[in-house]
Amino acid sequence: MNEPLVSIQNLGLRYGSFRALEDVSADFRRGTCVVICGPSGSGKSSLLRCINRLEEFQDGDVVFDGASLRACQDLPRLRSEIGMVFQHFELYPHLSILDNVTLAPRIAKGRSRRAAEETARRLLDRVGIGDQAGKFPGELSGGQQQRAAIARALALEPKLMLFDEPTSALDPEMIAEVLRVMRDLARNGMTMLVVTHEMAFAREVADEIVFMDKGRIVERAETARFFSAPAAPRAREFLDRILHRL
Amino acid sequence: MGFDWAVIQDNLPLLMRGLWNSVQLAAITVALSFPLGCVVALGRISPRPWLRYPATILVHALRSNPLILIVFWFFFLVPILTGRPVGDFASVLAAFVVFFSAYFAEIVRSGIQSVRRGQLDAALSTGLTYAQAMHRIVLPQALRSMMPSLATECVIVFQGTTIAYVVGMREFLHTTFLVTERTMRPVELYLFAALVYFVVCLAGSLFARRLEGKAGRAR
Repeated sequence: MNEPLVSIQNLGLRYGSFRALEDVSADFRRGTCVVICGPSGSGKSSLLRCINRLEEFQDGDVVFDGASLRACQDLPRLRSEIGMVFQHFELYPHLSILDNVTLAPRIAKGRSRRAAEETARRLLDRVGIGDQAGKFPGELSGGQQQRAAIARALALEPKLMLFDEPTSALDPEMIAEVLRVMRDLARNGMTMLVVTHEMAFAREVADEIVFMDKGRIVERAETARFFSAPAAPRAREFLDRILHRL
Repeated sequence: MGFDWAVIQDNLPLLMRGLWNSVQLAAITVALSFPLGCVVALGRISPRPWLRYPATILVHALRSNPLILIVFWFFFLVPILTGRPVGDFASVLAAFVVFFSAYFAEIVRSGIQSVRRGQLDAALSTGLTYAQAMHRIVLPQALRSMMPSLATECVIVFQGTTIAYVVGMREFLHTTFLVTERTMRPVELYLFAALVYFVVCLAGSLFARRLEGKAGRAR
């Protein structure tokens, strides 16, 4: 269990001539929660999207649980081991909350409807919206939708959870309920990579902070050290700006 | 001058047989060209150039030609290819299916592109294959947004069946024309024809609106 769950090796991603990621390397250990922060356009989301190959990177590789993504022949299987939560939830509007959660286990993993629904109801209870199972996404608040999306990702029993700005599209009063679910997950030992601007959450829950700027990792440090004395000047600047805003 | 509506009643069986031919042609055309259009649309948006280019060229080639030309083409081409006459209905049907699949393809394509990219990402991220994600997540949502255009296109297909007269097919308008030749009552008969086209198309749009309402409620 000493080998990292995710190993990013000299990763490079370009959109046309724009370099979104340049020579990014990082290992992430099992059971840790790492917050990735940085100014917008710094490549945080791109990095997450490379880890389940929603983005086709050009250089380097990502090794997930011992398997190279570049060489991966069965992407759907690999992706089903990685849960992802999106800024805009991306629940399926034409399906009920229950069907949103059971779809992938049934279709991708071949679970029976009964088994999938049992799991789904347990997970919806866990994220506090067990009573909303029969509704459609449009009938839920943003916070409830995002929690349903977390349940959808958890239904695949992933080894890793990726959070791509999970609270950025939420009203302030709904942010807390989503963060509570995420904190609970982290405490239960889920391996998590979280792109977020919620510095209070980062300080309280994250084991480590990764700071990115212009497609590179500028600084990586244990949480306490990052907040007390960030080494890189750009990280210090960023922290100053984001903390003093509050 | 007075109207003589009896001419319609007298020739009703013949006229209805013509209408039935038109309805059949339109219905089978839609039933075949819509799925074909879906396939072409998927080719149009495919990241693979060897799928995208042929699909794009096909759509542009078909959309820049008049339907009547495509009908002629198939009428003279299909017998050469098959080595024997295939009948006017079959050749017209083949022409219609190919022609309208290009139009359906464009409707389906814009419908698919109206679905947020994040929906596909979400479906892929849970381990669905591209085909499963399209089938379960993207296409159902695309279908809802393209319902009005699809209904319009079906009406156009039905009106397009009149073109089949150029190769002698007894569709509704052609039949009506044959009856006017014999009875010399064009006013009554063409008024009747207009009424029939109106009623059929109205029924079609009402049906489409019901489907739309149903899809809308699922939101």
